[in-house]
Amino acid sequence: MAVEREQVRYPARIVAGIAAAIALCLWGAFESYGVESDYQRQSPDPYQIRAQFVRLGPVVSAVPEDAVMGYVTDAESGSVTDSALLASAEYVLAPRLLARGAEHDWVLGNFTRPADFAAFGKSRGLRLQQDCGNGVVLYRKEAQP
Amino acid sequence: MTGLIWVLEAVLLGCLLVYRWAGLGRLQPAWAAWLLVFGAGAAGGVGLTSCVFFIFEVLLGSHAVALVLEIALLVWSGYEAFRHRWQIDKPAAAVRAPVALPWIAGALLVTLVIATAAMAIAWDQNPQGNWDAWAIWNLRAKFLASPGGLAQRAWSPLLGRITHAEYPLLVSGFVGRAWAGSNSLSRAIPEATSYVFFLGLLAMVTGGITALRGPTLGLLAGLALATAPALLREVPAQYADVPLAAYITGALVFALLDRPVSAGAFAALAAWTKDEGLLFLILFLAGTSIFRWRDLRAAILGAAPVGVLAAVFKVLLSRGNGSLLTTSLPGAEHRIVDASRYGTTLAAFGREFMALASGWYHPILPLAMLAIVLHFERERRRDVAFCGTVLGALLLGYFGIYILTVNDINWQIQTSLSRLLVQVWPAVVLVGFISLRAPEAAAITTRAAQLDVRCKARHKFAK
Repeated sequence: MAVEREQVRYPARIVAGIAAAIALCLWGAFESYGVESDYQRQSPDPYQIRAQFVRLGPVVSAVPEDAVMGYVTDAESGSVTDSALLASAEYVLAPRLLARGAEHDWVLGNFTRPADFAAFGKSRGLRLQQDCGNGVVLYRKEAQP
Repeated sequence: MTGLIWVLEAVLLGCLLVYRWAGLGRLQPAWAAWLLVFGAGAAGGVGLTSCVFFIFEVLLGSHAVALVLEIALLVWSGYEAFRHRWQIDKPAAAVRAPVALPWIAGALLVTLVIATAAMAIAWDQNPQGNWDAWAIWNLRAKFLASPGGLAQRAWSPLLGRITHAEYPLLVSGFVGRAWAGSNSLSRAIPEATSYVFFLGLLAMVTGGITALRGPTLGLLAGLALATAPALLREVPAQYADVPLAAYITGALVFALLDRPVSAGAFAALAAWTKDEGLLFLILFLAGTSIFRWRDLRAAILGAAPVGVLAAVFKVLLSRGNGSLLTTSLPGAEHRIVDASRYGTTLAAFGREFMALASGWYHPILPLAMLAIVLHFERERRRDVAFCGTVLGALLLGYFGIYILTVNDINWQIQTSLSRLLVQVWPAVVLVGFISLRAPEAAAITTRAAQLDVRCKARHKFAK
């Protein structure tokens, strides 16, 4: 039985162009996957944020959540290390607030190298409350019990 | 993982609201309308629930009111959506068979799986996201999720410049809402939020272009977007740039679909996402007043609620925190006349445009290939002019900020320009595909007398 059918075809130029676009996108997907997965595997957690949770854990336990803490460090002011140390400490310790300086009852000492932390604090009117290790020191204002 | 329920609930609420009130039921083909419901619903639901959380829980301090309001909205919109179920129309005229549709759809699914696999590696290796995720967006989410009036610390001037306490709170508010609701700080929530925005963005571009220009271009646009390396890099970063890209693109899609209220609402959600979104809202309304002035009132109406919230936050709540623009104004006259800054910025725009690539693959390549074979559609000039003007002005605004910035210009460029281009790239893809001639228009149709296949088979058997 003969029936009338509508046949739709497209110029070869268009079919080839669309096929090329699909191929390009697939190439892009694989290329992007390779580059990204290599990059991510080579630089896991570049600012060691996971480690900060362990490092600052004793401070989280000791300081009440509504505290506004002072912040002192030996990192060079304005350096990437200084910013990374402060920002990661803010993140881990939130909702506690950190304010640079030693003007608050609780003060976080965030150090990059070993030192006489008690003397460092004393020179700023701070008493060493707890040396948490890994360069993390919890100070209190001298007048506090 | 219970926090993910809060993400899914927001997406469901958004989908129901878009299904019922965005007026997409008459769009053809129906799957494009469904993609738009999902895409706009996901982005809109996240935005809406973030606003409800911020107003009722953070500002008014009532968790119960926020929760009851959300559940009431969910039930009511579900009931309304059920009452006004779509009557899917059959296409008025026979639709020409699109070119290679199953192949494009298959390729899109494959690329989506590949992209998700790459993101999963990033989520595993860097669960906290990149710098701004933990230093800005998720930090502020932690404050917002805190009880006892501590939420207002999310915009405290004590946070300092690197935390940008003046930034709007849509993304942080949404993550904070899910953290507070689930009583956990699960990493899965910011990861899922970024991924939901990525999927929503993809669905809006694919569905929008399909509804406007046909399924072949729609799926190809989705494919081109799903393989844009710079965009894929930003999803696991957990920043607010992909959400902003979703709102910018959503506003333009709804404007082109003649849904000005929804378009305005999405533009306002952009303003509640990032400072760049505030600029976009202003430019979007200005562009609407020039190219689509009949829609202006409805767009303003749609933008008003969230726009007012963003303005109240910027003017009243976070006024102690200077924005990049306000801190850059003193001494700006010297920087404006410094010709070297223009050269530096222009070169950086060119360099970062090239850096949207991964290896030898640049996401402009598929679009360029299609432009060569399909050419451009003249009838769409007005739509292209509208979107092009808004996006061009937005990029010009970004350019101006680099000229004005009080920060070291090279540092500012290095740390932000690539993300600014990611914010506008999906909208560029949208405009690019809107401007192309649909392949279906070039179809050659012939009516041929054929033997019916069954008759042919019977004939063969008889022989």
